[in-house]
Order: sequence, then C-alpha cells, then structure tokens
Amino acid sequence: MADWIPIALSRDVPVGITRAVIVDTREVMIWRGEDGVAQVWEDRCPHRGMRLSLGFVRGNALNCLYHGWQYGAGANCLRIPAHPDLTVPPTIRANAFAAAETGGMVWMSDDSAAPPPQLPALTPVISLAIEVAPERVLAELGGSTAEPLIELPFAADTLQIGWHRVHAAKTMLHATGAGADIGAATAHLRALRQNLEQGVAA
Amino acid sequence: MSLTDDRAALDQWYTLGALQDFPDGAEVHSRLLGEDLTVRRLADGVEVRAAGRALPVRTEYGHLWTSFGTPERNLFELPESREPDRRWIHCGPVRVRASGLRLVENFLDLAHFPYVHTDILGSEAHPEVAKYEVEQRRDVDELWATKCEFYQPKAAAASDEGQISKYMYRVVSPFNVMLYKTPPTAPDRWDVIALFVQPVDEAVSVANAFMLVIDDTSTDAELSAFQQMIFVQDKIVLENQRPSLLPLQPGRETPTRADLSSVLYRRWLKEKQLRFGTEPRTDLPNA
Amino acid sequence: MPKLYDYVLSGSCYKVRLLLNMLGIAYETQAVDFFPGREHKRPEFLALNPLGQLPVFEDAGLVLRDAQAILCHLASSYDASGQWLPRDVRFGSVMMWLSFAGGELMAISGARMIAMLNYPGDLATLQAKARTALRLLDDHLADRAQAGGLWIVGATPTIADIASFPYVALSHDAGIGHEDYPAINLWQRQVRKLPGFVGMPGVPGYF
Ligand code: FES
Ligand SMILES: [Fe+2]
Repeated sequence: MADWIPIALSRDVPVGITRAVIVDTREVMIWRGEDGVAQVWEDRCPHRGMRLSLGFVRGNALNCLYHGWQYGAGANCLRIPAHPDLTVPPTIRANAFAAAETGGMVWMSDDSAAPPPQLPALTPVISLAIEVAPERVLAELGGSTAEPLIELPFAADTLQIGWHRVHAAKTMLHATGAGADIGAATAHLRALRQNLEQGVAA
Repeated sequence: MSLTDDRAALDQWYTLGALQDFPDGAEVHSRLLGEDLTVRRLADGVEVRAAGRALPVRTEYGHLWTSFGTPERNLFELPESREPDRRWIHCGPVRVRASGLRLVENFLDLAHFPYVHTDILGSEAHPEVAKYEVEQRRDVDELWATKCEFYQPKAAAASDEGQISKYMYRVVSPFNVMLYKTPPTAPDRWDVIALFVQPVDEAVSVANAFMLVIDDTSTDAELSAFQQMIFVQDKIVLENQRPSLLPLQPGRETPTRADLSSVLYRRWLKEKQLRFGTEPRTDLPNA
Repeated sequence: MPKLYDYVLSGSCYKVRLLLNMLGIAYETQAVDFFPGREHKRPEFLALNPLGQLPVFEDAGLVLRDAQAILCHLASSYDASGQWLPRDVRFGSVMMWLSFAGGELMAISGARMIAMLNYPGDLATLQAKARTALRLLDDHLADRAQAGGLWIVGATPTIADIASFPYVALSHDAGIGHEDYPAINLWQRQVRKLPGFVGMPGVPGYF
C-alpha cells in the first residue's frame, strides 16, 4: 500500500471537530485545533484506552472524554485533571501518525520520514463509504491499489479521488475536482456507489 | 465461542439476573462464560442447566446465582440486605459490548465523575482525586478501597445540593463489586450500590445494578432512573475502550495514583490467573 | 406548568427535552419506569396514551403523545420567532423530515432496544434499516453542505434537526458508529453548539 493514505476531505474536518476513521481495520482519529493543523492519531487514549474521537477539542488541545486528560498538538499529555498539581511526565503521549494536507484531503502515514505528496488545491466534492472491496472499486474506476489517487474524467472535469481501505469489503472515497459541477459529480459518484454495491449483492 | 476453560473464571459465582425476571414455569435462555444455559423456575426452586447438566444454584440478595465449577468460597456476605429499613431497587439488566472486567474497573473509578457524570457525580471545577487507601483482605479474599472523597453536585436521586461524598468500594469477586456511599438524608448510614456483572462472552456483559438504599422521598422509578442514567453514561465509555478486553500486560495502559484501586484489582486478577475477559498477553512464556 | 412524562434513556423523550431546553421553557417531569418496570403498559399510563408509548406531554389541559407532534406544539406555542417551525415554503420540508425522524430513523431505536435491553427482535435487519436511513440523511446533509447549508431544512435549525439528532447520536448503542457518515459528523457538531443544548446518557454534553 502507498506510504501516504488519504483518509478524509479537509472540508469535513473543520477547526474544533474530531472525526473517527477506520483505515485498513485500524481505528484512527483526526482532530483540528485552533491553530488549524489537522492531527491524525491512533484512536486510543494511553490512560485507559478510551477512543479519543469521542473527546473534545478546546483551543489547541484534545481532551479525552473519560478522565479529561488533555493532549497538545505534539501528542504529549499536558494535564491530568485528577492530579491538578502534577507536572505530567513527557513519556505520556498519544500515538500520533505523520499527517499532511494536500489536494483538499487529510493524509496519514506510518512513516514520518517519507515526504507527503504535493498536489494542487482542488475543490472538495464528496466522501463516500462503499460496501465493496477496494480492488473492485478501483477496477471499476480505473485506479490502482498501488496509487493513492484515482483520476476519473467527468464531464469537462477530471476528478481526483483519494481512497482508503476501511476493511476487506469496504472502501472510502474522497473526491475532489477542479470545480466544474460539484452537484453533478456527486450524483455521478453516488450512482457508481449504487452500481458497485448492487453488483456485490447480486 | 463455547465455554471457557479458564479454571479461575469457572470456579466463581455469577448472577444470571434478578429473581423477579424469571417468571414461574417459564424457561429462560441465558448465557455465561461463552456457554448457553436455560433457567427454569419451579415450585421448589430454580433449575439452571447447561449442556445437559444441572448447575449449582443460589438465590440471594434478590438475584439468581450459579457456577460452572466449584467455587472455593460461599457467596459473599451482604449484611445490609438484612436491615429492614432499606429499599431494594433492581435497576434492570443492561447489555454492554465490553469485558465485564472493564465494567468493574470503571465502577471503581472516581476520576471519571467530572467528565462522564458531569454536574451529577462530579464537576469539571473539582476534578481532583484525593489520596485514598486500598487493601486486599486475604481472610475474605476481597479488595477494599476506603477513605475515598469526592465533590458531587448531585450525589443521589434525593440530593438538592452539592456535597463532599464519602465512598468505600468493595470487590467481592472478579465480576461482582459494590460501593458504599453516604446518603444525602442519613449521613450516619451507608447506601449500598452493587454491580453484579454476568460475563456473557469475553467482550459482552450484562450489568445488573442493584441498590439497597435509605431514601424515603424518592419513588422507585426515580431511584432506578437515576442509577440507569449513571450506568448508561458509563456504557458509552465502556464500549469505546480499546481493547475491549482488559489488558493485564505491563505498559499497555498508564495508571496514575488516582487509579490505585484499578492497579490493585489488576494485580489481584493476575494472582488468580484469571484470563476470561482479559487481553491475551505476549509477555509470558507459553502464553 | 407543562409536564413531561419522561424516561431518562428514551431518545424520543430526549427530543422533547432538547427543544424545551433550547426554548427555555420551564417544565416538570414525571419519571416513568419504562425499564424494567414497563410502567408505560400499565392502566394509569394507558389512560394518558392508549398507544403505551413515551413521551407524553401535558400543557394547559392538552395531553399530547408522539415526540414529533409535541415538537410541533412547542414550536407553534412557544417560539415567537417562528424559526423552529417556519410557516412558509419550508413547512412541507420540515414535516417531511419529521416523518423521517419518527419513521425510518426509529430503526435505530428498535436496534438499540434489542442490543442494550435484550428486547426480542431481529437485530441485523434493524441495523441494516438503520444504516439505510443514516446514509440517506448523510447524503442529504452533504448536499446541503455543498450549498453552504448547515441544517436539514433552510438556513436555521428547525424541529427537523431536533427530531433527527437523538437517535443519530445514539446509534452507537445499536452498534453503528459514524465513521461512514462525514456529513452527519459535521451536522451533529452544529446541533451541539446550539444555545440550550443538553446531552443525555449516551450523548455526552461535551463538544
Ligand atoms: S482514558 Fe483517556 S483520560 Fe482516562
Ligand atoms: Fe461511572
């Protein structure tokens, strides 16, 4: 699989939000603080394992829902409310992935040394979950499992579609375009979703 | 999944629910430790059968109890059940997709009150967990946490205002736990709130909350609704802890001093070599 | 004072509590022991609502059942601005989505009762129906977001949002997460930011 994986449209992760994403059966989460930088972390608090996607963002920090442990943008734990006077040891950290934003998408990588792709800014179209194996989706759309992006000609536009594997039988697409007709492109992709899912059911 | 071969789990008493939920004559299907069983209420008692054999049965504290193995001890003592002025409130069984051990550990936890039971059992302005004491009482094989104190905006159904609540916790077996806390109306007594967990499968549990309380103002519906509210606030946490099975391997999670009771509980489970509901370990030989 | 016959774990009662709170209406509650007591099937409650369902709302001699109907009553009696139930071209759309909230989305409620309270029923079938309903809502909200809209109907929140929010937010109790529904994730956050928003068990008040 590609080093960098697109996992969401940037538009769908505004400041102050958390978003749970399943990437190849792994639970990860995206959040964005006031500094505007998208963070991609393992969806698990180091304290007692709570999914951090259920937490809440305040300022530039993410707070775990269970006991309110607060994590900064660098993934280090800043505050443990049960012990207000404790200086939190720097060893207590959330598990952060390398994250980048390019081409209107949020990307993650296991390997922070590999440089992220550089893509022109495009207009977000739609993110769609399709209950079909990535191999079939890519075959239908003319993409390759070796490439993180699918180029799909549509009307006068060429859609750039990021994809990620949710699990063996589910794919998520993140479509962007040069800004032609977003509504028509969305309808087109939803029709593709329906055809693919009906093909699997048949 | 079928019946566990975990000896430590088999040789324990488990509740299958409140006796009132087993109507006369009817056959009720249930499940415990990965094995299906049937319960039949007869004129002269209750029969519990699994895979063609009859299991031992106890009817105590308004609940039905059974075991697949040979428990070393009798069912735990609950002296408050003999006090005539206490109200018995069954809060109804709630199914949770998590290890029963996660449920017990959450029940022992004070530090989550401000965030999970906000403005009821805790508030964000008072998140500190003061030092408390824990001990393993070897004579009865129970864990106790005592001298627990926490500021609570609405400690119970009958509370009108905030108070510093005093708590004691008592773990009587790996899946059965209770707490004692000061009732708003009778500061010299202890309300008892018990959580009897029926471990259905490793990561599926049925929680039976049961209260023996001093309260002559609230209705049964109010008392039960209060406890259900609290428990279902915990449920979203329990179902979203990862892994769903309790990790016993050192370094998997990060306890602090507020988690003293959880640390003792995990150590006690290890000592018992309990495996059911725990995350498989990779740090042990022949694991 | 208006009175809500309430059960703390009911998503339908929560619809009413949400709007009461957002409109700042003082009210009293009467706890109904829905589970395990099944008080809603006893004669005293059936006299209030022969359907034996929660919520029931009493207001100045009026006795109303059905969460959607109660939301309409609250909006028409207490919301002078007319925002929550607009009497213009949006009216039909609000009604359409109210029907959806009281209809298709209630598959989540059914699945939740089976998964959580061990009610009899076919969990897998209800979960499939719930997913179909959630996808329909997510598609609609994505279309709205593309047009710059945050809400189900029009430029302001309406009772269509209030009626839809509870069971969408409670879908995890039915074993359905929100990973597949990015537009729902965005919309939920908007609902949580509304003045007077309150949570319920299973819907944390933090955001
Ligand atoms: S599990 Fe996250 S703060 Fe405790
Ligand atoms: Fe709790």
